[in-house]
Amino acid sequence: MQEIHDRLDRYEPGQFKNKFKILFVIVSIALTLIVMRLWYLQVIKGNELRQRSENNSVRLRKIKSMRGLVLDTGRQVLVDNQPSFDLVFVPNRTRDANTIIEKIRTLYVKRSLTLSSLSSFTGKVKPLVPVTIERNISMEKLAVVETHALELPGVVVEVTPVRQYLNGKMTAQVIGFTGEVSREELDYDISDLLTPGDIIGKFGIEKFLDAHLRGKNGAEQVEVNVAGKAVRSLGRIQSEPGDNVVLSIDLALQEEAWKALGDRPGAVVVLDPRNGAVLALVSSPSFDPNLFNGGISSDDWEKLTGNRRHPMENRSISGQYPPGSTYKPIIAAAALEEGLITPETTFYCNGTFELGNRIFRCWNAKGHGHISLHRAIVESCDVYFYNLGKLLGVDKIAAYAQAFGLGAPLGIDLTREKGGLIPTKQWKLSRMKEPWQQGETISISIGQGFNLVTPLQLANIYATLGNGGTLYRPRLVKQLESSSGLVVKEYETEKLGVLPLSPQTVQIINKALWGVVNEKGGTGYILKRKEADVAGKTGTSQVIGLPQDAKARKAKRVSADFQDHALFACFAPYGNPEIAVAVILENAGHGGTAAAPVARKIIDAYFARKHTIQSRLQGIADDEGGTRKP
Amino acid sequence: MIKLDRRLILNFDWTLFILIILLSGIGLLNIYSAGFSLTDFHRTPLYVKQIQWILIGVAGMACAFFMDYRFIARHAYIIYGISILLLLVVFTAGYTTRGSQRWVAIGGFTFQPSELVKLTIILALAKYFDRHQLGRNCRLRDLFPPFLIVILPFLFILKQPDLGTGLILLILFLSIIFFVGLDWKSLLIAAVSGVILAPISWHLLKDYQKGRILTFFNPERDPLGSGYHIIQSMIAVGSGGLLGKGFLKGSQTQLKFLPEQQTDFIFSVFAEEWGFIGGLILMIMFLLLILWGLKISIHSKDYLGAIVAFGITSLIFWEVFINIGMVLGILPVVGIPLPFLSYGGSAMVVLMTAVGLLMNISVRRFILQS
Repeated sequence: MQEIHDRLDRYEPGQFKNKFKILFVIVSIALTLIVMRLWYLQVIKGNELRQRSENNSVRLRKIKSMRGLVLDTGRQVLVDNQPSFDLVFVPNRTRDANTIIEKIRTLYVKRSLTLSSLSSFTGKVKPLVPVTIERNISMEKLAVVETHALELPGVVVEVTPVRQYLNGKMTAQVIGFTGEVSREELDYDISDLLTPGDIIGKFGIEKFLDAHLRGKNGAEQVEVNVAGKAVRSLGRIQSEPGDNVVLSIDLALQEEAWKALGDRPGAVVVLDPRNGAVLALVSSPSFDPNLFNGGISSDDWEKLTGNRRHPMENRSISGQYPPGSTYKPIIAAAALEEGLITPETTFYCNGTFELGNRIFRCWNAKGHGHISLHRAIVESCDVYFYNLGKLLGVDKIAAYAQAFGLGAPLGIDLTREKGGLIPTKQWKLSRMKEPWQQGETISISIGQGFNLVTPLQLANIYATLGNGGTLYRPRLVKQLESSSGLVVKEYETEKLGVLPLSPQTVQIINKALWGVVNEKGGTGYILKRKEADVAGKTGTSQVIGLPQDAKARKAKRVSADFQDHALFACFAPYGNPEIAVAVILENAGHGGTAAAPVARKIIDAYFARKHTIQSRLQGIADDEGGTRKP
Repeated sequence: MIKLDRRLILNFDWTLFILIILLSGIGLLNIYSAGFSLTDFHRTPLYVKQIQWILIGVAGMACAFFMDYRFIARHAYIIYGISILLLLVVFTAGYTTRGSQRWVAIGGFTFQPSELVKLTIILALAKYFDRHQLGRNCRLRDLFPPFLIVILPFLFILKQPDLGTGLILLILFLSIIFFVGLDWKSLLIAAVSGVILAPISWHLLKDYQKGRILTFFNPERDPLGSGYHIIQSMIAVGSGGLLGKGFLKGSQTQLKFLPEQQTDFIFSVFAEEWGFIGGLILMIMFLLLILWGLKISIHSKDYLGAIVAFGITSLIFWEVFINIGMVLGILPVVGIPLPFLSYGGSAMVVLMTAVGLLMNISVRRFILQS
């Protein structure tokens, strides 16, 4: 306080009063200068500038950029651009939007056409601000409007590029769709590159790589006539087209998988075990992404979102299912690695397993008798795995499951990927405020209970086992290319980790998976084939909520929604795999009878094509050899 | 340190408060008009956002008012340090808008630390000169520490790049030196070295900044870029005439000849719709505000308060003069907002807080009777 008083003493109030005069003069001069300039511009030159403002026919017009194409791994075009003819109306004081729209409607009706209601057009217009009346009109409508141009003042046809999804439903979940930027998206966009009316990716790859696909809008300064039509360009900044995206998707396999699923709800994922490339990613039922091109009508939108079968959900990455018996290799690997069993260890299966006063059943009520690990996997004996689960405990199981990339999203290049669920004691305590029950571990050990995996994770488990234990990040995008074809960015193979398993353990597991398909009594016997050995595992997972009691189960299972999910996951060829496939069919019954045939079709297609390519190459080689002979 | 003194209420500076509320209100009407014909019915209208910013600003004003400014000034260096840190954050985690990196996000809002720095260097300089009162005019060597205070944020801001704000910092520095007094010999040396340094600093400018200055002298040089801005803004202002075209009726405004008209070019919207009379009234209001601020400064009971009040007043004065001068085509296009009228949260909150400090100094001259 003393210090402050000292300073107050040293400072004489009013010390700066002499400065006030000169400051007053400076401020007055500056502001007078501005007022004089205002007087000059507004009063002296006012009339002239008002004239110029009224004749100001110069507009800045946005030049929309061309979105990049999407190609498959063999460079087949999946998404193209096509011109869309949009009806645009420029209102002024004498032109009213509603009368014009009515006029167009009556012209349409004469030729039994209907004006599609545009969701973004609210009917509110402001003078001279162009509004879009109808997007992507047909050639008939275009003819109507062009022939009646004189009756429709202020109506212009604008040509803008729209997306054309060449494979429709088949690739809809992967590629997604575009739409007009929404208010939230504009608010969220801090880069300020987006302007109202821009088209951006809303779903799938279109959304994930939007920044690359979008390109850069240009601008043009144009002189317009009274009708709002551009008559002269005064200078322009060209728009820059977006980058083309090359996916790792193999359209032939995608198509095979899509056909094999039919209309049944489910998902198929095909991976390349050598690098994590996604060769096919199918989710059914699907939707037609071309519906979104002209701005989707509210009817169609309700049909899509209100559909009980959820066609908009990409089941292959956001569907979460109990893995059922496809989970058993992880349990077996954990038990081997922990030294709890050897490949020779046998358990006796009489069809049931008792823990306390609860009875857990094997799918084979007669039991498998004395059974070893190999046959337990081949025949999918539940009791064997109940025993392993009891020995391991939930947390050890979870540790191995997480090493396989379960319980968290793998990081595929798409939004909305789910992580599934791998329960631990801690998880249950914090989530349900209840301690873990040992009986729950028993359910976990056959892939039931709280366990949830996505089809993508399931495929990745088998890809990882197949390649000997390297966990890759599933990768959908191969590279980005500029519109002129230069490679802008290559997406590298990314290792997420290595399984904490010895080569022997992986070998034992894979041999058993081979047995599932190739040995008598194996649950996946229908995939046995000549060209290549398949190794895989069936799974039949109970829908949550089914009681363990057999009678009650039967009663409840009558309802379709409580039917088991059918699963199958595999890799091929055994020993040196090139593809890994996971199939999940919702409420379709048994994995071996419902899901395995789907996988078989995909594997058949893959090897059939490989075979023809090889024989063709062989033919070329033979020819060359032949010509060299004298 | 918050003491609710009855005298704070009794001697409340209503003139200042009402002036600020009026100016912000005019600003709001203008932003409403500027955004009126946006084709986009989806985005949150800017005037709604501006109302939010004004409310936050009034809260900042209240905070700055109730705390004794001597208490605030005691921590001036810490406040200054924090604002410099925020500037650094811009470089590491800031957002880039139109080629310059100026923004940081704080809880869903974006904030421009360079606006805050305008106020914090006033506080830091005031504290420095208060601590080191000489009782005579400053010589050049006395100015070395305060020069460091300014040059550090100046360089950061120039790097963003934000020529306008950098310029304001320098002008604030010179104004405050002028206020505390400068030895005439030193003034001469500074002036001469300034003339020598000018060509060197020209090389430090980014191409677009050079372009703007060149375009100022010859608007036709770049009819699509900043020349376009100057021409369209002069047409907008001039076409307003004596009485203006009326609220929401400015054709230049409504047809969006000027992109970004709600920020730096907001005065053109006002002048088009309200004419010379409106412009004159606005200038009189700004004149009143500035003179009122100077009055607070020279009547302050202590050296510290005098410098803080002067610094804030000169900040407002220079921003008004440079911004309107730019819109009217008598000064080059540099990004400086018009106080209380331009759309922009950071500037609004910082200026409101600064005015809170002014009121603080104004009212405490009745309390600080030594």
